[in-house]
Amino acid sequence: MTEALPESWDALARAAASSGTVEQTDLAREFLCFTVDGDPYAIPVERIREIVRLKTITDVPRVPPEILGVISLRGEVVQVLDLRLRLGVQASELTRTHRIVVLHGDEGEVTGLLVDTVREVLRADESDIQPPATGDSDFVTALCARDTEFVGLLNLERVLDLG
Amino acid sequence: MAARRKRRTAADKAQAEFVSEAEEILERMRNDFGALAEAMGNGQVADPETVNSLFRSAHSLKGLSGMFGQEAMSELAHHLEDILDRLRMGRATLDPEGLALFDESVTVSIAALEKVGDDDASAALVESIADIIGRIEQWNEAPTEVEAQGFAVDLPESMLRALTEYEEHRLRANIEQGRGIYLVDATFEIAAFEEGLQEVQSAIREVGEVLSTLPSPSGALASEIRFSLLTATELGPAAVLQRLELGDDAMTVARLPDDHVDSPVPSASTGPSADEVGTQETAAETGGVATPAAADETLKSISDTVRVDIRKLDELMNLVGELAVQRGALNQIATRLAQDPATSRVGQELVKVQKTLERKLQELQSSVLDVRMVPLRQVFDKLTRVVRRLRLDQQKEVRLDVRGADTELDKLIVEELVDPLMHVVRNAFDHAIEPADEREAAGKSAEGCIQIVASQRGNDVLISVTDDGRGIDVEKVRERAIAAGLVTDSTELTRKETLDLIFHPGLSTCDEVTETSGRGVGMDVVRANIGALGGMVDVASEPGVGSTITIVLPITLAIIQALLVGVGSHRFAIPLNSIRETLLLEPEHLQRTEGREMLNLRGEALPLRRLSEEFQLGGPTDGKGYVVVLAVGDARLGLIVDALNGQQDTVIKAIQGPVAAVRGIAGATEMGDGGAVLVLDVSALVEDVVRKGEFRD
Repeated sequence: MTEALPESWDALARAAASSGTVEQTDLAREFLCFTVDGDPYAIPVERIREIVRLKTITDVPRVPPEILGVISLRGEVVQVLDLRLRLGVQASELTRTHRIVVLHGDEGEVTGLLVDTVREVLRADESDIQPPATGDSDFVTALCARDTEFVGLLNLERVLDLG
Repeated sequence: MAARRKRRTAADKAQAEFVSEAEEILERMRNDFGALAEAMGNGQVADPETVNSLFRSAHSLKGLSGMFGQEAMSELAHHLEDILDRLRMGRATLDPEGLALFDESVTVSIAALEKVGDDDASAALVESIADIIGRIEQWNEAPTEVEAQGFAVDLPESMLRALTEYEEHRLRANIEQGRGIYLVDATFEIAAFEEGLQEVQSAIREVGEVLSTLPSPSGALASEIRFSLLTATELGPAAVLQRLELGDDAMTVARLPDDHVDSPVPSASTGPSADEVGTQETAAETGGVATPAAADETLKSISDTVRVDIRKLDELMNLVGELAVQRGALNQIATRLAQDPATSRVGQELVKVQKTLERKLQELQSSVLDVRMVPLRQVFDKLTRVVRRLRLDQQKEVRLDVRGADTELDKLIVEELVDPLMHVVRNAFDHAIEPADEREAAGKSAEGCIQIVASQRGNDVLISVTDDGRGIDVEKVRERAIAAGLVTDSTELTRKETLDLIFHPGLSTCDEVTETSGRGVGMDVVRANIGALGGMVDVASEPGVGSTITIVLPITLAIIQALLVGVGSHRFAIPLNSIRETLLLEPEHLQRTEGREMLNLRGEALPLRRLSEEFQLGGPTDGKGYVVVLAVGDARLGLIVDALNGQQDTVIKAIQGPVAAVRGIAGATEMGDGGAVLVLDVSALVEDVVRKGEFRD
């Protein structure tokens, strides 16, 4: 499942993005689920512009360590944030299952997030979502209950705020 | 020290303003009357534009003199206005006697102006003004009224209602003269419509008359404004089209049908709407007023130009860049095939095809670049207008001399150039050019001069702003720098170094803060803005003779020539326009001072920095390498790198992401292999090393 994803994901994310924001009322919302250090996290699909395979990342000096570097994306040059470092887990070697989730951004703020693997799109109702287990979580602002596990919903504003 | 202008009382100042403004108006009237007299002497019809201009002048003079309590003059102007109104409406005709009266009126008014403030002399003049008024009334006693009548052309009703009485009269008069009536629709960007409109109007005036200029409701973009110019000319539609070929403003010309000779005014139901008129086929064959040379011409849009959002050009540029990357990949495959004996023939063919592709891609790239280029004229025109206004506001005689307005620059750079350039010119106007009395005392002409010269030099454009003012007071700059803590009493600075201090934040050489130059925005901002465009600013100044601010800019930001350098496994690109030379690093020429390396470069001490240390890239910090000598203005820095990897045309992109700006990195560029290479911000690097070091205690 993981390997076959990218193209369809891409289309899905684009479609979601171009249709404006997904209705947030009673309807189910859609999240992209991925893993970092084996744990599942998710972000709203409408925030995603595309998902790209790992490509040459160019080091950038004088930036916080979480910024892995920049990639060239069809003429745009986009910073890649290492979500592993950002979430405080040990970074392992980069492998071919690693993906860069490119987020929409205002002008100049398009960002790539490096994740371990991309899993699936979750559909979740209000009833599936609950507050995080502890109050001291920095980036996970809610949990989404799945069959056997909880998926951490990331607050992207906080994740991206390196200031 | 600058001599301060004497402070005048507010009333004195107001009076002086009135006199100079009224003088200007009267001078204009005198010229116009002269033109009328000449036309009459040649047996020609008075030019309606001249009569109109006279009418406006008389009207302004009436208002102005009334406001300043010059009642006699206001009364005289009122009478002139009245006659001129009749003249322009065709209700009166001008004879030599009338002309003589006009001329005398102007003369007397000018005499009265000279005596403003001198009550006795004014009283005598009031009498002679009253005398002229009496004679004007006599001359003007039998005006001929012209009956309103229908138009021989079909005008949209909305437009008819918008015409003033005068415009109606002119329309009628032109139709009577057998001229063709046209509607010229032109669309302009709101930000710059004044120039565009003026350009169109003056082009029309060369061949005919602009009867009315009306803003037109249209499907124009929100950032645009459209005008309909009702135009009369003897030319046929084709000739009109040709004359109006003005460049980049979208325009259409439509000849109005003239088959409604008998229809009364206003012909509400029969008139086509403005839009219909704009798209109508030629109406030449419909009879009525003669339509010379209009037989089989169509009303195509007269402009061949298209307006394009610059972002679309960026996209195009990106595509070209991507194609170049693909071309690189193709080249690798072709080379591989060519080297394999089994496929060498087809491989070589592919290499050839690939070479052609490369050439075509380069042509494509330069074509796209070419589209982005606009002449500096638009900026210079703005400056000219600003200086003209400043002259009026400040009563300071300064001439602006502009050269090289056709020099072309990337549209984006031109946009960003306006503010810095404006600031430099305002500085010159405000602070550099002395008041007239001071100039004359120094043996200069009373009128100051600011000269702006633009020229292209290779891939750079050079713009210099030179004034013939007092020059920069180096001692004062130094005093202020010491006061601001930038240098100490004991710091030894060359003249050039001291001058360079004006680019430091918070240093202004003028105590006075005037509206014109504004507060707080100094030359440091100018340097920063120009630096952000990849350019440089420099200053030269001679006490008593004047100053020159020189701005050097790359022609385009879209593509720059860059030198690729390697440091360990890292690659960087350095814009070629800031590289003076490259040297092989020879350890025996290295020297150290306070732990910092420097190089004896032909007798000059060149500060050195290792890029691997500046950017903490790790790796060995000594040994072999190259020195890339960077130059920003007069400042030099030698950057030590491991390898020089050749030059390349690069498209610089801003880096996107949560970390806004990295000091020392200007952006990044995509390489043939799909990776990104960072482009160094040379001015930041040099500034960090050289400037900070120089002025630190």
